[in-house]
Amino acid sequence: MLHAQVTGTSEAVDDLFARFGAAALARQATADDTPTLWVAPEQLLEVLAHLKPRFPMLLDLFGIDERHRQHKPTAAGDFTVVYHLLNLAHPDEIRVKVAVADGGSGVPSAAGIWPNANWYERETWDMFGIEFSGHPNLRRILLPPTWEGHPLRKEHPARATEMPPFSLDDDKQAMEQEALRFVPEQWGMARATDDAQFMFLNLGPNHPSVHGVFRIALQLDGEVIVDAVPDIGYHHRGAEKMAERQSWHSFIPYTDRIDYLAGVMNNHAYVLAVEKLAGIEVPERARVIRIMLAELFRICSHLVFYGTFAQDVGQMSPVFYMFADRERLFGIIEAITGGRMHPAWFRIGGVAQDLPRGWQRLVREFIDFLPARLDHYQAMAMDNSILKQRTVGIGSYSVAEALEWGITGPALRAAGMDFDLRRDRPYGGYEQFEFEVPVGHRGDAYDRAAVRVEEIRQSLRIVRQCLDNMPEGPYKSEHHLTTPPPKERTLQDIETLIHHFLHVSWGPVIPAGEASFPIEATKGINNYHLVSDGGTTSYRTRIRTPSFPALQQIPLISRGLMIADLIAIIASIDFVMADVDR
Amino acid sequence: MSELGTVTFGLLLIAAAVGGAAVLTWFERRLLGIWQDRYGPDRLGPLGIGQVVADMLKLLTKDDWVPPFSDRFVFVFAPTAIVVAMLLGFAVVPFAPQLYVLDINIGLLFFLGMTSLAVYSVLLGGLASNNKYALLGGLRSAAQMVSYEVFMGLSLMGVVMLTGSFSLRAIVEAQRDLWYCVPQVLGLFTFLIAGIAESHRLPFDLPEAEHELTAGFHTEYGGMKFAMFMLGEYLGLILISCMITTLFFGGWLGPWLPPLLWFCLKTFALICFFVLLRGAIPRPRYDQLMTLGWKYMLPLTLLNLVLTGALALLLEGQRHV
Amino acid sequence: MTDAVTSLWPFLVYVVAVLLLVATMLGLSFVLGQRRANRATNMPFESGVLSVGSPQIHIAVEFYLVAIFFVIFDLETVFIFAWAVAFFELGWEGFIAVLVFIAILAVALVYELSTGALDWGVKTRAGAPRPESRQPQEEQH
Repeated sequence: MLHAQVTGTSEAVDDLFARFGAAALARQATADDTPTLWVAPEQLLEVLAHLKPRFPMLLDLFGIDERHRQHKPTAAGDFTVVYHLLNLAHPDEIRVKVAVADGGSGVPSAAGIWPNANWYERETWDMFGIEFSGHPNLRRILLPPTWEGHPLRKEHPARATEMPPFSLDDDKQAMEQEALRFVPEQWGMARATDDAQFMFLNLGPNHPSVHGVFRIALQLDGEVIVDAVPDIGYHHRGAEKMAERQSWHSFIPYTDRIDYLAGVMNNHAYVLAVEKLAGIEVPERARVIRIMLAELFRICSHLVFYGTFAQDVGQMSPVFYMFADRERLFGIIEAITGGRMHPAWFRIGGVAQDLPRGWQRLVREFIDFLPARLDHYQAMAMDNSILKQRTVGIGSYSVAEALEWGITGPALRAAGMDFDLRRDRPYGGYEQFEFEVPVGHRGDAYDRAAVRVEEIRQSLRIVRQCLDNMPEGPYKSEHHLTTPPPKERTLQDIETLIHHFLHVSWGPVIPAGEASFPIEATKGINNYHLVSDGGTTSYRTRIRTPSFPALQQIPLISRGLMIADLIAIIASIDFVMADVDR
Repeated sequence: MSELGTVTFGLLLIAAAVGGAAVLTWFERRLLGIWQDRYGPDRLGPLGIGQVVADMLKLLTKDDWVPPFSDRFVFVFAPTAIVVAMLLGFAVVPFAPQLYVLDINIGLLFFLGMTSLAVYSVLLGGLASNNKYALLGGLRSAAQMVSYEVFMGLSLMGVVMLTGSFSLRAIVEAQRDLWYCVPQVLGLFTFLIAGIAESHRLPFDLPEAEHELTAGFHTEYGGMKFAMFMLGEYLGLILISCMITTLFFGGWLGPWLPPLLWFCLKTFALICFFVLLRGAIPRPRYDQLMTLGWKYMLPLTLLNLVLTGALALLLEGQRHV
Repeated sequence: MTDAVTSLWPFLVYVVAVLLLVATMLGLSFVLGQRRANRATNMPFESGVLSVGSPQIHIAVEFYLVAIFFVIFDLETVFIFAWAVAFFELGWEGFIAVLVFIAILAVALVYELSTGALDWGVKTRAGAPRPESRQPQEEQH
């Protein structure tokens, strides 16, 4: 499916071998067939700089603690830093890995090549303690500055019961609060110029318009933003650490809560990666059901975006109408899955149940009903001249900037990049659907909203095609790693009963290997990089989310604008703090 | 009306204005609720009207806190100023031919003076709080005030020209043939905008701007002092509606029904308009607001004066020929 | 004018009643209000974290400029007030005089606008997309 379409990869690899020689590079086979090359730390920056013209986007950068891994790649050391690069013009990807010794000198920082490496490297340092030499400001990003240890190292406790009981007395609270105080000098900011003093304002974490707990420390001249420092981590739950303690199956509900507006869209990214590792082919009906549910959730998420976008520029009413529509949608999702925001309904190898009787009527009613409402909202919100004044030309970036900063999804298309994984590297059955990919051209707050609004209509089109062409057949694969396995025969012989019992109570044993599966989630590319060590739990689960790099870019697009513009920019980004902090 | 009667009416007026403002907090939420496909407060008493009492009791028993880091006297004074100024503004409103507290021949100027005073309350509250959000709200309110104050008075001069008096009763009487909303449509438009700006309601609620400045100028306010800002805002809303009724929609004039009822009906319709406006329009950025004021509204009011003057003199000349 | 004088004292009662009402509201809440003293009660609100720097700072000069314009224009409008109330008595002569006055005001306003004194906030790139952001791709919707 996905990688059958990949072209030019071998060319990129051949090119690298020709340039750096076979001695400098080592190949690693992965379950997803993405070329994975090991390089030495000394040559890393050279290799990355060489790759950048071909792969303009640093999709992800993360660490792996290899010390307890049994099926370790031969080139691996104590830790690994992985650079996942993406070419969007000619859909293609490559992974570069570098081995790091525990307590060693670390790796050189790639922040000079891709600006978005800055936060990823801070996260990797935060989580593993891997040093990035030459990094401009290597400090904790997700965890509080007072945290001890690096939690994704295997020796760090994973559960509260492995640590002394937590308590927060007055002294500790005062200490934590003090640690949160913004110090301009740490970020190279002056407190005043010759003729004016700057005001430093904490916008968030407790603020109505930052969509969760998110802080932007602003350096203000009057109301004009001189500089901004986004501060994240207030919503960090350690999802990646939890994945190392959950079975492959029982981690699914945790994924729902990553981008909590996108429900099963998260499941989709996760189960596709697991199925890639396990080599499961999903039956046709399950694929179409998954796409239908995923697109319904895309509509859901975009409706929330639409309403809050209008609300944040001061328009009070649209959000209520859109939440009412979303409520209707939740009614359908509830009828199908039994859940609403977090159905956790996709399964390894299929979905949890078949569609209920009468689902067609519910879905048809909704997709017939929504377009007229969207026309209404268009007139109410998007065509409103004050809303346009507030958002057109505000917070704009070019395609080149978007690529450099790892911006994906609607936010990238708003700048004019005509790229959608669903169309350009179809996965999970999207190749069978007809839809258009809306593209903007200014890359400003208004276009970011307009692209999403049009995507709602396109998603309706996809859902209609699902409705009209729902294939018959099983909703779950016959593959032996499907979890839970089909139950029909479990009462007939003891082997299938035991098989079912083990899969449900211990979970499936996924073959050792590595795989990732980028999908077009509601807010951009969501990618689960899974490392299996041949056990019932994941050895390492890396969750690449679209919201994380988007927040990193805020200072770039908001300097010189006003507080009100910053609010419009934040509203137009469509991020979820749970998706950022994981 | 006898003096005792006037005194009684004055006391009744205070009760009605404050009571009306309190009920308006509930009415606004209900009306917006209906408009936005939701209920609004509907649990307490018939239609949820008991919410008004509950809110009042709650606010009365809230912490009466004055921030130690604030300018304490100004902090307490600011919210009282808006309530006092707005209530005094009601004194000159002629509700019916003989129903008013104060009939002075400069009633209109008195009203303008009182609304200007009320704006200071927001500014002082913001600056006295010694809080960054409040400061930004205070600055915005100052900028907004200086931009909209200038043409607010000017926008009414067309009405004054046609009547030849600042007396509000005279202005109403002068509308027997034709309400001023017709010849003074430009004046009505500009005054409407200035009125919303002066009462700090969405879309011109920039000093508060919940989505930007958390609570803006009243970030540090709580309890009764916060309630007084809100009371002042709703009193302002009613007062502006009363004034538009008086100045542009013929005040108490109307057939069949008693004058007072006419006045109340017109005012009520305007209040509903303001409430629904709040639900409809996004908030401009404050430099856009200022641009609107200086570059469009001020020239428009001046144009209105010139046009009104020329047309009125021409028509007057023809009548005498 | 005796009429006006005699009708003033009900207004004084009205003023006293208003002041009493406000005093009662403040007094009642002072008496009835709860008293709390938690850790953060006496700290200024800044999104739940500790503040850095003082809110009492020097403010940009634009605020000052607009305040001055306000004073100038508001004073000038007072003359228009005086004319408006005697509009019909003054007739065409008064109208032409005020027309000249308004013309001067308008010239002053145009001058201020042209000098950019009323261009608020961002002079660098508010509203306009930065040059490098423009893309050759044509709009698709």
